[in-house]
Amino acid sequence: MPFIQVKDVVKQYDGHKALDCVSMDVPQGCIYGLLGPNGAGKSSLIRIINMISEPDSGEVLLDGQKMTTNDITKIGYLPEERGLYKKMKVCEEIVYLARLKGMSKRDAYEEMDKWLARFDLTEWRNRKVETLSKGMQQKVQFIATVIHRPQLLIFDEPFSGFDPVNAEQLKQEILALRDQGATILFSTHNMESVESVCERITLINHAKVVLEGKVTEIKQSHKKHLYNVAVEGDRPIDANDELFAINSTRGASAQIRLKEGTSVHDTIAWLNTNYTLTAFNEILPSMNEIFIETVKKLNA
Amino acid sequence: MNRLWLIVQREYFSIVGKKSFIIMTILMPFIIVLIGAIPAAIAYFNDNSGEAETYSVIDETGMNYAAAITDIEGYHFAPLSGDSTAKPREFYDKAGGAISGVIIIPKNVIQDKKITIYSENTISPGLKSHINTCINDTLTAAKIASFGVPDLDKMMQEAQVDVSVNSVRWDDNGNEEKSSTEVATILGMMLSLLTYMFVLMYGAMIMNSVIEEKTNRIVEVVVSSCKPFQLMMGKIIGVGLVGLTQFLIWVVLVIALGTLFSLIFGISTSPQVIGDPQAMQAITAQAQEDTMSSIMQSILSVNYAYVLSCFVLYFIGGYLLYASLFAGFGSAVDEASEASQFTTPVIMLMIIALYAGIACVENPNGQMAVWCSIIPFTSPVVMMVRLPYDVPGWQLLLSILLLFATATLLVWVSARIYRTGILLYGKKTSIRDIIRWIR
Repeated sequence: MPFIQVKDVVKQYDGHKALDCVSMDVPQGCIYGLLGPNGAGKSSLIRIINMISEPDSGEVLLDGQKMTTNDITKIGYLPEERGLYKKMKVCEEIVYLARLKGMSKRDAYEEMDKWLARFDLTEWRNRKVETLSKGMQQKVQFIATVIHRPQLLIFDEPFSGFDPVNAEQLKQEILALRDQGATILFSTHNMESVESVCERITLINHAKVVLEGKVTEIKQSHKKHLYNVAVEGDRPIDANDELFAINSTRGASAQIRLKEGTSVHDTIAWLNTNYTLTAFNEILPSMNEIFIETVKKLNA
Repeated sequence: MNRLWLIVQREYFSIVGKKSFIIMTILMPFIIVLIGAIPAAIAYFNDNSGEAETYSVIDETGMNYAAAITDIEGYHFAPLSGDSTAKPREFYDKAGGAISGVIIIPKNVIQDKKITIYSENTISPGLKSHINTCINDTLTAAKIASFGVPDLDKMMQEAQVDVSVNSVRWDDNGNEEKSSTEVATILGMMLSLLTYMFVLMYGAMIMNSVIEEKTNRIVEVVVSSCKPFQLMMGKIIGVGLVGLTQFLIWVVLVIALGTLFSLIFGISTSPQVIGDPQAMQAITAQAQEDTMSSIMQSILSVNYAYVLSCFVLYFIGGYLLYASLFAGFGSAVDEASEASQFTTPVIMLMIIALYAGIACVENPNGQMAVWCSIIPFTSPVVMMVRLPYDVPGWQLLLSILLLFATATLLVWVSARIYRTGILLYGKKTSIRDIIRWIR
């Protein structure tokens, strides 16, 4: 059974539809990507899952049950627009937000100290948030999001505002949380940032789900039969009318497109008889390409 | 409930811990006491600042009216024999700085009713009124004597009627008790002002707190952990407690500092009485008729339990009503400067309430007083003034019920505005938008 089940959710603001019959199943322990261009309705959906706003119709099930107010303690949410109380001390801020999520004071302090140590923030523990650099504030906010060990983590554009080193650290922490059993929902319009981590995605455009499924399957179904080929020597690869066409060549390597009905096996065999093959690998479309292609197709 | 309490705590300590709050809380009583004490302190230092100023009094009437002007602290009056031809300036110059000025009592003073002080100094109102009193009594006596009727002065004195109106109130058992509208009215006015100040000051504080949370975007994190209603109520309660704390500290400090000052200077710190000898006389005159004990009795006769319990009720109701409005409107804007379009009407209501309250002192059972003390937006301020005058039970009940019903309604309405408003950015909100959010 999916951990989060969004069923036919409709949400309207001022006469325009933000979500139009959106459904989505997020399996337990999965890293799930909620993708879509700006203004597609991602934030509206996330606010509904977070119980910040209510759907006009449809429902959200958590673990098969209709969500109740108590379920918000099971969720950790990092909004796109980061914000903290600037005048509070780091420790007070984290503990306050943790206690709002139902943690006891003692638990919150214990857990916070672990996290602060992990992010090298221990010496900033008693400083005011406003004295921290932006990157450090982001880390504080991340700690506040995960400190109560939520079963569901929702990250809205998690990597924006992080430098590459910190973004990598964040990614590792998120993967570790997944390994501990948390279900993770990413919302982003930046495909590359989630391509390497997400197992499944839902693509929303103009308030509607336009694409949904496993990342590997989506890529397979959108592949263009493109391959990178490299051979020994200087002789460029010639096209073969029966097997493949050449998209581009660079020295002894080329990008080829297999003809319809041609098998990879036959192509490799032919190449190996005429050349000495050194490399042959398939080019799968990036999520970005699929995203742009899908959205363009729909807008056309 | 637990979360609400957490939010209240955070709100409370985040404000109480602010430097500006601490400074304001400690400084204010000093300012209040200083303002009250400055005249007293000045008088104190004046009294001890060496020699008295001397004024020469030239009596042209030859009736020795000059002797009537008696010395007071800081001033000495020296009669001089009259010479109508000499200019006042010549006397002054002749004295060569030994005198501060010259007072001329002209020959026909009884007809003209005018005397003149010449001086290089500005003459204080205190000095003027002293001379005025001295001369008045003497001239009146002289005038009465001039009619040549024997014992006229005694008749005049007896003919002077000064009635003091005492009011006696029957309590429920028909027993008589001296009622004390003066003390009660002053108390009512004070409570009324207190409500007014409190609501405006802390209402604005709530609004700023809401706007701040919205601007730094923390609000989205917080409302993913609690209901917006809890956040709003937490704020209202937290800020309310901050206000109570501040007022308590002020009251304690003002009393302590006031006592300290009056101990140091050994005089009462009430400035008007000291600056104005006439007022002092009035008080002594009153004290002769109304003994001290009767004043005490009137202070004691105020039904404090009744007045204060009503005050608490109206205070809570009024605060809730206005605070929720401020919270709701604060959520609808991105910056404090945008909020004025919504807050101006609210502040206008408060000001109307205050003026109605002041007007009701004159006629506490008049049409306006009755209506304004029933309408929820003005009742917290106006009813305080009416309380000493035995408001009919049904009016009090109706007024309190209406106030709390309206406050509840407005909390509900504001919560709906708040719920939508806090998550909306970068859009100018109009009244029409807000009405749609409420629906």
